[in-house]
Amino acid sequence: MEFKKNVLEQASHITDGCMGHEDAFCTAACPMHTDVKKYIAQIGKGDYEGALKTIREKLFLPNTLGRICAHPCETDCRRNSEFGQPLSVAGLKRFAAERADRKELWEDSVGEPTGKRVAVIGAGPAGAQAAIDLRKAGHEVVIYDKLHVVGGMMRVGIPEYRLPREVIDFEYSYLVDLGVEFKMGIEIGKDVTFSQLREDYDSVIVANGAHKGTIPPVPGKDAEGVFNAVDYLKDISLTHKFPKAGKKIAVIGGGDVAMDCARSSWRIGAEEVLLISLEELESLPASQEEIDESQEEDVQFINGWGTDEILKNKAGKVKGLRLKKVLSVFDENGRFAPEFSEETQEVKIDTVVFATGQQVEDITDGQLEQKGGGRYVTDPDTLATNLPDVFAAGDASGGAIVVQAMALGRKAAASADRFMKEKDLAEGRNFKLEYSFETRLDVPLPKGTENLPRTSGNHRSAKERKRDFKAFDLGYTDEQAQKEASRCLQCECKLCMTECLMMNDYGECPQDIFGEFLEKGEIDPIIPYSCNMCGGCTHVCPNDFKIGETFMGMRKDFILHNDGKSPMEGHKAIEMHQKLGFSKIFCTKVKGVR
Amino acid sequence: MTEKMGFMPGCSLPSYTPEGVKKTMEYLKQIYPDLGGVQKCCGKGTKALGQEEKFKERFAGLQKDIDDVGIETMIVACQNCYKTIKETSDHTDVESLWTLLPKIGLPEEVRGKAKDSDVVFGIHDSCSTRYEKEIQDGIRWIMSELGYRVEETEHSRENARCCGFGGMIVPANPDLATRVMQRRADDFESDHVVVYCAACRSSMMKVGKKAFHILDLLWGPVVYDDAPAPEDVLSSPAKSWINRYKSKNAVKQVVKA
Repeated sequence: MEFKKNVLEQASHITDGCMGHEDAFCTAACPMHTDVKKYIAQIGKGDYEGALKTIREKLFLPNTLGRICAHPCETDCRRNSEFGQPLSVAGLKRFAAERADRKELWEDSVGEPTGKRVAVIGAGPAGAQAAIDLRKAGHEVVIYDKLHVVGGMMRVGIPEYRLPREVIDFEYSYLVDLGVEFKMGIEIGKDVTFSQLREDYDSVIVANGAHKGTIPPVPGKDAEGVFNAVDYLKDISLTHKFPKAGKKIAVIGGGDVAMDCARSSWRIGAEEVLLISLEELESLPASQEEIDESQEEDVQFINGWGTDEILKNKAGKVKGLRLKKVLSVFDENGRFAPEFSEETQEVKIDTVVFATGQQVEDITDGQLEQKGGGRYVTDPDTLATNLPDVFAAGDASGGAIVVQAMALGRKAAASADRFMKEKDLAEGRNFKLEYSFETRLDVPLPKGTENLPRTSGNHRSAKERKRDFKAFDLGYTDEQAQKEASRCLQCECKLCMTECLMMNDYGECPQDIFGEFLEKGEIDPIIPYSCNMCGGCTHVCPNDFKIGETFMGMRKDFILHNDGKSPMEGHKAIEMHQKLGFSKIFCTKVKGVR
Repeated sequence: MTEKMGFMPGCSLPSYTPEGVKKTMEYLKQIYPDLGGVQKCCGKGTKALGQEEKFKERFAGLQKDIDDVGIETMIVACQNCYKTIKETSDHTDVESLWTLLPKIGLPEEVRGKAKDSDVVFGIHDSCSTRYEKEIQDGIRWIMSELGYRVEETEHSRENARCCGFGGMIVPANPDLATRVMQRRADDFESDHVVVYCAACRSSMMKVGKKAFHILDLLWGPVVYDDAPAPEDVLSSPAKSWINRYKSKNAVKQVVKA
């Protein structure tokens, strides 16, 4: 039977706008779309294994990310936007991993062999994720890395006190379980040429990371005792030492890498550590946690100053810095263009570390086009390069944080898989879902929501931790994790579903019911005839959707197609009831007179 | 008030309590000596089934009756009648009994009569008038004038939940209707619930609440905790129709008295 246009229009208005299935802020913000709400609820119920399994549906390194993820989920968390106190999503993830992760739970099945072979350059998060996905699709995968250890920048960029190395090794053993082959200590471009690799494999994923440190062109940069953050952190990561460093160390930069350099400096024996940034303290790009932890460790912040000159002694060694006062960092168009005043100051130091950006080194002998920062030029949707069999991911294609690198690795793998199967790279893909997106969820705070403070974790005392490389954060106790999990607002709409019993019998939200109606072009009359027409749904709907009215429209159409009668058997009694209600026996009209 | 007033009991109320209809009209007649009366269905049930054409026809019949007896403002005690006339009639004004009583006051003899009652009533607001604050205020005013204590719930007033009777779902999906009734009943801590729709009363009775129509409290004996609620008359079609017939006669009698 056909429904009237207005009914169809109302139904599609509801289907299009209903937020019932809209992702929560955390899940939408996570480029890997981890089901945060679900695993936090599981932790809250004490189901740690369930939580771990939920995390592992999307992430192969829950413990690693639980410690070092830059957590865009927390930035977008409703408790952050409302109260500035986001859920400790990462902390809870680590907790689940620590309590429940074990190899027996890992899903290590792989697809039917395809006979295709893929080379992945780089054993960082992008390369590893790409390798996992390709291996699961049945391809043979070989990872090449110039380092002898896995993890990429997580291993040689992120300090050990934030990410213990055994955590990386344990979580990476998953790749071995899947049958990914590792060729470590092999540098593409030196030990094996990029062209050779392309000849030997059906497809190549370039995920070599941004391992080239930079030093800005300041006077005195050739002095002895000037280093870049990449080399500094790498050596410290691999050896716990940096013999060329002195005792008074200045780190230049305001991001997380700068904080890592400053904090690492204590751990190799520095006596004084300065952190000098162009930005003022309140607008530092580093995460608040890293800023707080650096300050706890007595890193001396000099914010709002730039390097005018590196001062050296007669022997050519660093003896100090002349700094100039920053007037502004960005120009009116928001571009990086620092302006300085005449005001200067000098600081006495013997070592300078620049944490002011790092670049991707070309390993393709110029076969791939590069842009700013050495990033390879790619199609942002598919990560395809100018070579049909080559895809770039991670830092190499422009990701900034680990979880983004993973999402890019997954994207590149999906493209490589399609390329090897001779399928179109874009057809049928929803690119929005392959990275962070903005959810349409827009709901009032749940009734009775209170501003509860974030549960702080167990950090070792700054005095004790700053002299060793052992983990500084001991993680949540069971009690703390439960408490933190209980703060989750479980953001969703479905407000009408808490009011209406009837719709719960036929779907999870109006989008299900009206979507199915539109798709099939029909609906079981029991559904519209089960609506109480009470208006409770519309009353609580943030979009004021006229759900009852739409069911009413359907009823009218059923009547028109059923000779003026209700299709419901039980309604025969109502028809009789109504007939009597209008009959002379039971009706009267009387004119009032004084 | 210069308009010519009339009273219309509707369907469920006259089927439930001819006595309540009669006493209400007698009191209104004291205030408006030329009070008219119409007993007929407003057609809400027909409309709810989706029978648009039949509804138009039936409402036209009601409108004709109202016009025939010269009623300009119709007083109603049913929220569906209130809404239907308000939305459908182009010239008859409608006033809820529950907003009228606070204006004209209650009879002296009932004021404060229940001040010693040990009952705390939960108030079940009608979902069809969830946005009619004045009607809801009127109910609370009447309860307070009578001397009864009431309890508000999370689902009072505009947050009211359906009693389970709405939308003609009882005959269409009886199991669901029972669940809706039970859920509504569970909104109240008190065993005693006051309603201002006779159909809502029947719903609440079906799931074990001691439900009273506000007219029971207005005209009937003072309710104490141990007293049973009146019978669920609407569950018996025979008794309902007999009552409806009695109410019809009451309308005639009172107007002509």
